[in-house]
Amino acid sequence: MSGWVLKGISTGIKTTAYPQRPESAAGVTPGLPVGGQFGAAAADLAQRCPVHALEEARGAVSVDYRRCVHCYRCVRGAARPIAWQSDYEWAGLAGAVRTEDAFGQAFSHSIHILVVDAGDCGACLNEVKQLNNPYYNMHRLGFFITPTPRHADILLIVGALTDQMRVALRKTYEAMPAPKRVVAVGACALSGGVFADSFVCAQTATDVLPIDVEVPGNPPPPLAILHGLLVAVGRKPPASLLSAPP
Amino acid sequence: MNYTGLLDWIERTFTGGVRCRLDAARRVSEVDCDRGALAEVCRRLFHELDFAFAGLIVEEQPQTWDLRYVFCGGPEAGWVHVRVEAPIEEKLFPSIVIESKIPAADWHEREAEDLFGVRFAGHPRLGDFVLHDDAWQEAVEPMRHRFDAQAAIRDRKPRADWRPRRVVQESGAFMMPIGPKFSGVTESVHFQLETVGEDVIRSWTRLFYKWRAIEKLAEGKLAEEALLIAERFAATTAFAHGLAFCQAVESIGGSAVPRRAGVLRVFLAELERLRHHAGAIREICESTALAVATSQAALREEELLRVSGELTGHRYLFGLLAPGGLLTDLPTPACEGALRRAQTILARLDDLERQLTVSSSFLDRIEEVGVIWPGTARAYSLVGPVARASALRRDLRCMQPYSGYESLQFDVPTEQEGDGYARLRVLFAEARQSVRIMEQAAAALEDGEVYRPAPLVAGAALGWTEAPRGATLHWVRLDGLGRVQRYRVVTPSFTNWHSFHLGAEKFAFQDFPIILSTFNLSVAESDR
Amino acid sequence: MVSLTFILSCFAACGTGIALSLVTPPKRQGALLAWAGGIAAIAAAAAGAMTLVSGDSFTRALWPLPGLATLTLRLDPLSAVLVLVTGMVLLPSSIYAAGELRGGSMPGRERAFTIMSLALAASIVLVLIAADALLFLLAWEVMSILCYLLIASARGEHDAQAGSAYLLLAMGEAGTLAAALGFLLLATHAPSVEFAALKSAAASLSPGARWAVFLLTFFGFGVKAGLVPVNSWLQGAYAAAPRAFAPVLAGATLNLGLYGILRVNADLLSASDATIGLVALGVGTASALIGILYATTDNDLKVMLAHSSIENVGIIVAGMGAGMVFTATGHPVLGSIAFVAALYHLTNHSLYKALLFVGVGSVEARTGTRDMDRLGGLIKVMPLLAAIFLVGTLAIAGLPPLNGFVSEWLTLQSLLRAAELSSTGAKIVFALCGAALALTAALAVTCFVKVFALTFLGMRRLPPEREVSEAGRPALAAMGLLALLCLGFGVLPTYVIALLDPVSVQVSTSSASEALVPPFFASATGDHGLPPAFAAEFHDLGAQVGQAVLPGRGLVVLHRGGESNPVVFAMSSSYMAIALIVLLLLTWIVVRLWLTRARRLARGERWDGGLRRLLPEMTYTATGFSNPVRVIFDAIFRPTTVVDTRETVAEHFRNAIRRETERVHLVDRLVFRPVRTTTLRFARLLAAMHHGKINAYVTYAFLALLVALVLLPGS
Repeated sequence: MSGWVLKGISTGIKTTAYPQRPESAAGVTPGLPVGGQFGAAAADLAQRCPVHALEEARGAVSVDYRRCVHCYRCVRGAARPIAWQSDYEWAGLAGAVRTEDAFGQAFSHSIHILVVDAGDCGACLNEVKQLNNPYYNMHRLGFFITPTPRHADILLIVGALTDQMRVALRKTYEAMPAPKRVVAVGACALSGGVFADSFVCAQTATDVLPIDVEVPGNPPPPLAILHGLLVAVGRKPPASLLSAPP
Repeated sequence: MNYTGLLDWIERTFTGGVRCRLDAARRVSEVDCDRGALAEVCRRLFHELDFAFAGLIVEEQPQTWDLRYVFCGGPEAGWVHVRVEAPIEEKLFPSIVIESKIPAADWHEREAEDLFGVRFAGHPRLGDFVLHDDAWQEAVEPMRHRFDAQAAIRDRKPRADWRPRRVVQESGAFMMPIGPKFSGVTESVHFQLETVGEDVIRSWTRLFYKWRAIEKLAEGKLAEEALLIAERFAATTAFAHGLAFCQAVESIGGSAVPRRAGVLRVFLAELERLRHHAGAIREICESTALAVATSQAALREEELLRVSGELTGHRYLFGLLAPGGLLTDLPTPACEGALRRAQTILARLDDLERQLTVSSSFLDRIEEVGVIWPGTARAYSLVGPVARASALRRDLRCMQPYSGYESLQFDVPTEQEGDGYARLRVLFAEARQSVRIMEQAAAALEDGEVYRPAPLVAGAALGWTEAPRGATLHWVRLDGLGRVQRYRVVTPSFTNWHSFHLGAEKFAFQDFPIILSTFNLSVAESDR
Repeated sequence: MVSLTFILSCFAACGTGIALSLVTPPKRQGALLAWAGGIAAIAAAAAGAMTLVSGDSFTRALWPLPGLATLTLRLDPLSAVLVLVTGMVLLPSSIYAAGELRGGSMPGRERAFTIMSLALAASIVLVLIAADALLFLLAWEVMSILCYLLIASARGEHDAQAGSAYLLLAMGEAGTLAAALGFLLLATHAPSVEFAALKSAAASLSPGARWAVFLLTFFGFGVKAGLVPVNSWLQGAYAAAPRAFAPVLAGATLNLGLYGILRVNADLLSASDATIGLVALGVGTASALIGILYATTDNDLKVMLAHSSIENVGIIVAGMGAGMVFTATGHPVLGSIAFVAALYHLTNHSLYKALLFVGVGSVEARTGTRDMDRLGGLIKVMPLLAAIFLVGTLAIAGLPPLNGFVSEWLTLQSLLRAAELSSTGAKIVFALCGAALALTAALAVTCFVKVFALTFLGMRRLPPEREVSEAGRPALAAMGLLALLCLGFGVLPTYVIALLDPVSVQVSTSSASEALVPPFFASATGDHGLPPAFAAEFHDLGAQVGQAVLPGRGLVVLHRGGESNPVVFAMSSSYMAIALIVLLLLTWIVVRLWLTRARRLARGERWDGGLRRLLPEMTYTATGFSNPVRVIFDAIFRPTTVVDTRETVAEHFRNAIRRETERVHLVDRLVFRPVRTTTLRFARLLAAMHHGKINAYVTYAFLALLVALVLLPGS
């Protein structure tokens, strides 16, 4: 037994300083494309995106982060590659209107999260699991995972909602007591991702539940999910889900 | 037995109704037989020649059904595709589960019936498999070309009185439901455990809550678009699936990828295997609630994710593959840097293994628990670390080498006991072998191009890789314009989920999550 | 004298009822039974209460039988307690039985049932007030036969019913025979078989004779009480008993066995040998443990209650045994505490067992099944029944402030007093039995949580076409009355102890009230015999609350030790009840009027993991709930696998896994099957003698003559 204790102590502290200070280690985020001015090449660039995340208008290309699936076709093999940001504070508000049941101060440092896999590929779920590893340790921020909706404050949805999971998702949401918030994580949850055209993924989570916070990415790295949770409890300002050039 | 020997054997054994054709370039022997001879051919291949049953591919041609039973022998015998055709109006085929006693084909036949409406004579459990009977009406057949999604959804009529089948007849027996939403952070899958209170007498798994119909989705898409689906349907092993898809497309075009791309592909595939195994070890430690070990394994997994992200830009290696090579080159110094970090991480993984093997409270929970006997592994044609922990030494990198594995030196660790501890030992040993392969690959990196576009040709071919969870097959049929006509995926999780219930029976409830974690199965990979 | 009047009224009511029953039409029999039985019960209860409260007992000699005895009736405190208990149980039972008869549960046999029930009531009271062995045994026989008739006449669907009744009769008669032998032995030096004579002659019995009398009467009367190892008839008989009779069987006739043991071994034969008490303690504990183990793992509501009766009888007998040990070793005060605990538990058991049997009978009448695995969710359709049944469940599980808690607590506390004994062996036995009884109490909670939860809560498992409605008013009234009594006996223990005091004086020559109930209600100026400082401390705790309105000595049950240990144990379920009510009220006020003022109440479905539909077969069964107990105590249950088959298609698809196990009761396995096997073997051996050859028979006669000539002395 003491071997484990010594091993743990000798490993030291690995936890990131985020959200107090930004995290700059390599490999913590895949980054996202940034909208910009491309002039004549804009139309070709926008065509390269297989999920129509790039919109071209008068030579400017804007990026809808809700759709980006990290295929890198706008960067790799493109004549004029798009600019890239290596940030991770991506979460934005989805505009669900909740008039009553304000989350309030009581929830800002103590939240229980229920994670529902609505049809996820495994990567978003794996990133959520990393939230409890010593590098991110979301417990220090007051975030905990709970297995039962009766104790949950936040419903975290990953994955493209499949037809056969609709009842389960709806029941889980209804089993949660008020006040509650819903955070949708990953391109598949926000827009269906690459599965949007499948006949069993015709409805996204947005069609079934009121979503409060959306975290884009495919998958969003743990820091982005952490940012999304902080936005949901009001400890961080939301970001824009659309990157348009000024 | 080698390819030609196999063909001679077939022609000698089956005097009529069987024709053989060898495609040496693709290492495939095609055996065409009629429905009457199918059962016997399969039986002989499976039981007498000890071939593995790899999958069933159903294709709806304009006038006929084209069923392709894929068997895999060793490196010399190659793949054997047993093909059966029948007119499109006749949908009845013999069931090789019943007639050839090949349990491994069970789920393939059920899936074919649910998705295509093809029936298999004598199979007692057709129906309620992919399409849940309490969510869909009968005869939806979504994979048929004539399928109308709008009409199917409009005419929805699920069975209101659906009940799970009860097998245990003992007074006081009941079914304990688990899921689809259960535990903390888990995939959505449903279990029913039949019990009288302490021990699980029988367990039943209900998959396909996460069925996204990717095989239907890919039809009509360009190969590059379908590749995105191949990468992202089971993204914890995205590179392995993407690689199998690319190899299938490249095999159709008959082109070879540049040498540097092949070596880089091996390097990245093994990096992915190392990272995946660290995650699997973390899951096993987490299920036994050994907190420090879980943290140690989690540290290794996150470090490997960061290595992957730093080297390639994406933590799960998205966006690198393309049919014909890689979309972008990775500089050799960067690869060598990643290798050095991987070696450090491996040293810590070895430390973890040493410490786990002397933790008796941990071993008590995974030893002799969730046992899969070698006979079962063979009967179900299991793959991956699960099979190799049950004395079934099958690895596609040795049996059917691809992308340059034939010139690399590595072991295929095998264990005999088939319990949770054996599977854990296999994971640690394979992690060591992965780094060994990465070292050889990094040393073999020469300068050169990494992309040579594959020619657009109509045709069909099988692509395969040994994914971290086991053998995965991607069957792709393209038309002349490069669009996918048929996309069939047989995943290691689908094969291994089939046997999970046997491992979970006769143990107490408390062992169930531990057994589940030692099998290291992905629901997303199985459900597609 | 008043009590005599009441007793005579009791008999008169029974007699009148029987006579009227012969002329009443069948559909009015129920009402007649309710009136006659009710009046008889009230009279009996009044008689008992009078004797206990005001010491008004009587002795009445009836007819002298020359050479044998004078048939005598006497109502002394010991009889009075049981007469009171019988009355308290018979009243609600008669009301319930009336409801059952009117509801048509015994078509064509209403008259027979009414007559036999009233006769049984009379015979029970006669047994209790008989003051000589002859009348006692006569009344006992009548009672036994009536029990048998009442069970056997109820037509069941299987032969098991007839078999159970026959087993009851056979074992009952064997027990009576043993008890009669015990009486005879007791009477060897006595001039007649009157109890008074037997008592005075008991002093001159040799120790061996005392042991013989103890063993004969303990196990002889123990048959009726249901002590291990003579309890085999009980499970079957209780299950086979008609619904209207079961409460009486469990609440009144079972006590007669205990009465017999007490009468002979604590009254007639005053306790003088501690080892006898230890044997009683040990057998009682074993009964308790075995009874509750089988109760916890049984799924049939009535059989489970039968096993629970065995458990409770075990606790009572353990208390008796402890009392006998204390009295024999010169600790009369402790003995009085133990005897009071035993009698208190006897009373409580009758009350809550009768309540539970009425409840189970109503459930069976409405749903058609007694199998807990097939019930469930009844609270939605039978809320009143469930609520009152819950009171009975809490009582039998021993939860404060109900009556079961008080008597079990007192029993365990009196066992702990073994510290005062001098013999180490006795202390060890007391410690082991105390631990076993504590285990029993814990298992009892498990058992009754299972009973209530799986019968009333959860999802309904009955077939959906079965209509289930609330229990009938007679059943609810009967149960309500018993529940109120349970509550009263739990919340006012000091009055009950005062009521039982005369018995403790009779059997252990020491007043339990003196030992257990300090007079805190007396004024604080020290005229109650307690040191002022001590009394002041307790007054600060509020021990005098209620002084102004309540009679008696106080509401605190307390046993005083010496100087160094002034309070050995103390409890007040009266104040506990008040505190509970206050706390619950406070909680309700805080929650309703403050915490949830600004919040809506949302009602939703139960959480089932996101299933499309949760089905009853996906919920826990009774077997599943009690499986851990079955597994842990496997050495006692020793189930044997009868069937274990797997049915597959092509060795891969499993169609069915069939398993069946068989359990034989421990007592049957260890005692009766070996005895039966040996007896049969011996009988077969003897049967070899009967082969029909006349020459051999002549030889037998010749041999017998030789033996007689050799053995008989010449005269």
